[in-house]
Amino acid sequence: MKCNYCEWHCELENETYGVCRMYKEDGGVIKERFPNKWCTYSISRAESLPFYHAYPGSRCMTIGTAGCNMDCRYCSNAFAAKEDPLKLQSTMYEFSPEELVKMAIKRGCHTIVFNVNEPTVSLPSLLSVSRAAKKAGVPMGCLTNAYTTEEATELLADIFSFINISLKGLDSNFCREYLGIPGSKPVIRNIERLARKVHIEVTTPVIQSVNDKELDKIADFLVSVNKNIPWHVFRLLPEHKMKDAIYPNIEAINASLEKSRRILPYIYFHNFVGSDWVNTMCPQCSSVVIERFSLGCGGDKLSNFYCRDNTCSVCGCIIPIHGEHVAWNSKGGAV
Amino acid sequence: MSLAIIDAREWQNVFDLRTGLKRMDDSPTVRLVKEVLDKHPFPGDLDERANHWVTDTALDVLERYNPNFVFLTYAHQYYAMRFNQPNKAEQQRLIAEAFKEVERFEKESGFTPVVIGTGDMIEVKEYIDLSGLDGLAVTSHWLTRYAGLYSMTKGDLRCLKEHGGIERLVTREEFIELFSGEPVIAERLPELLAVAKEGYCFRSTLLRRPLMIPAHNYCIPVSGPLNGVTAITDIVGKVEEALWNKKIALILMEGVGCNDFLRPYTTCSNGKEWYTYENGEAQYLTITTGRHQVFAYPAGTRSYLEDDENKEYPFSGYLTSIPEGTIGDRFGGRSVAVGNRSMFMHILTGTDIAFECFARNLSNQGCLGVIHR
Repeated sequence: MKCNYCEWHCELENETYGVCRMYKEDGGVIKERFPNKWCTYSISRAESLPFYHAYPGSRCMTIGTAGCNMDCRYCSNAFAAKEDPLKLQSTMYEFSPEELVKMAIKRGCHTIVFNVNEPTVSLPSLLSVSRAAKKAGVPMGCLTNAYTTEEATELLADIFSFINISLKGLDSNFCREYLGIPGSKPVIRNIERLARKVHIEVTTPVIQSVNDKELDKIADFLVSVNKNIPWHVFRLLPEHKMKDAIYPNIEAINASLEKSRRILPYIYFHNFVGSDWVNTMCPQCSSVVIERFSLGCGGDKLSNFYCRDNTCSVCGCIIPIHGEHVAWNSKGGAV
Repeated sequence: MSLAIIDAREWQNVFDLRTGLKRMDDSPTVRLVKEVLDKHPFPGDLDERANHWVTDTALDVLERYNPNFVFLTYAHQYYAMRFNQPNKAEQQRLIAEAFKEVERFEKESGFTPVVIGTGDMIEVKEYIDLSGLDGLAVTSHWLTRYAGLYSMTKGDLRCLKEHGGIERLVTREEFIELFSGEPVIAERLPELLAVAKEGYCFRSTLLRRPLMIPAHNYCIPVSGPLNGVTAITDIVGKVEEALWNKKIALILMEGVGCNDFLRPYTTCSNGKEWYTYENGEAQYLTITTGRHQVFAYPAGTRSYLEDDENKEYPFSGYLTSIPEGTIGDRFGGRSVAVGNRSMFMHILTGTDIAFECFARNLSNQGCLGVIHR
């Protein structure tokens, strides 16, 4: 039976699990192999994930499962995403959707964000969590590679109200060599689709001399979808199969973003400590409207929020933000 | 004002350590730190060359700055044991390689080493999962023996008391009483502290589980020309005495205790009664100040509550201030620290200059240099 969650369309049987190894065929139905099993329930800042234009300053409970449908050479969570999910089961937490939401509220979290591996490999569980979260008024977000079918993309949009999509590259050779997928067309299609339905931000990890030449093209594509999409350009942190690779040169990548900055008002260049390019500037008057501090990979935080009611305090320009600024220690559970 | 110089490979930036605001500074000391950082990129926590980096960096700084006191930390063997659980022969090889680095430093620097093992590591027997409690359990990735408990129900308490891996439950009052006389902000302590039996490990919420953890190290080894060190709190005073006529290197060997220590040593206590220090900020701070420091960043505290937009010292993990009375703070001469146990050494040693790797959860982000004075 063909799986219809991602673009691999794997042929599944009861003991044949496909690329992500997270689904099986059971009685003519595609089922999760490990429902409601979670690898983590940590606390993080929205900015660290990164979400720069969704619930700024908020406290998120981050969750994940196991498995992925891509095979990125630089995966930063390979020990969860690329390991055989069966082998990881003894280390997983088992929480019902209600328990997971209760855990978030108990820890004063304002949102729940799926950020470890690819959410598409655990959509039925996440759909259940989203129902419990909606009841409790806890918004959910995720990071995804968007290599999903149109149907699964609809599900993503139903479950998550804010999504950061990793657009890793456009070129098919790059996709094959570095991501383990045939091409980026489905990702492009899904960015367009998700942008119409939910808040999206886009992240592109840059490998110098490999996909940096595509930055202008990616920027043009984002403008064609919506020029207000926040774009996180990541300096690649060489990990997994690329752990011996050279760290990309920050000045060189920053210089290659100059043209894109003229057409996209919300470009952020980070994923390294002390980045100079993490603040939000008003596109109208160039005032700093949101100030952030970057501790590199997974360590960004809000420093100052100068746009009350999501409006530039100097010129009144509306800054596109999903939700509102949430103080870190304000009561969690509903925003 | 203390300065933080970040080196993210071929790219450096200078910040105010306390506020995190960018600073323009081209003073000779800043130039010195920038040059050293540029010359010695950190290879990574699990890279075999991680301990060479400590020695190489320290020797380079010595030549440029000429200090009288050096604080070093070697941690590669600790990370390798913690996350890879090598067999005993490999553990011993890793530890021997770390001691070779101490020897290399001693030989090339002429400093007199005082070497301290932060404690033996043992395999995890079992993980204690407190996620099912109705109340809130706060566990930490780097502190495996202790968990903070809040709003426990009767059912939670019954469950905890019946758990075979829990050695004791300590009330806030009992914890304060054990270290009476030490400054404490009671509200930062958990309502109850759960203490695990040896070999048991409280599960944290993070992804990577440790495979080896600190044993209950009631004693730790101390090697060097210090007489009369019987408690961990004695070390700093004796080092200061020795500094009157020697250049001293105080060296911490992470994850090494009495069982595998490769130099002649005496032992000193590593805690008080049932409380033992695990290798981390409390143990470091106790060594560098000569006072028990269990309450500075207490086990089981809800540190995330302090991590709001106003938190100072953004490069210093969850540490929020520079403590007074550290050896670097008290010592009148020039002092330097170099280590590959990241993100807190510059706070806890108080040396004039500190160099450390900036690796978070094993992700190698670069290096940090801090200039206090």
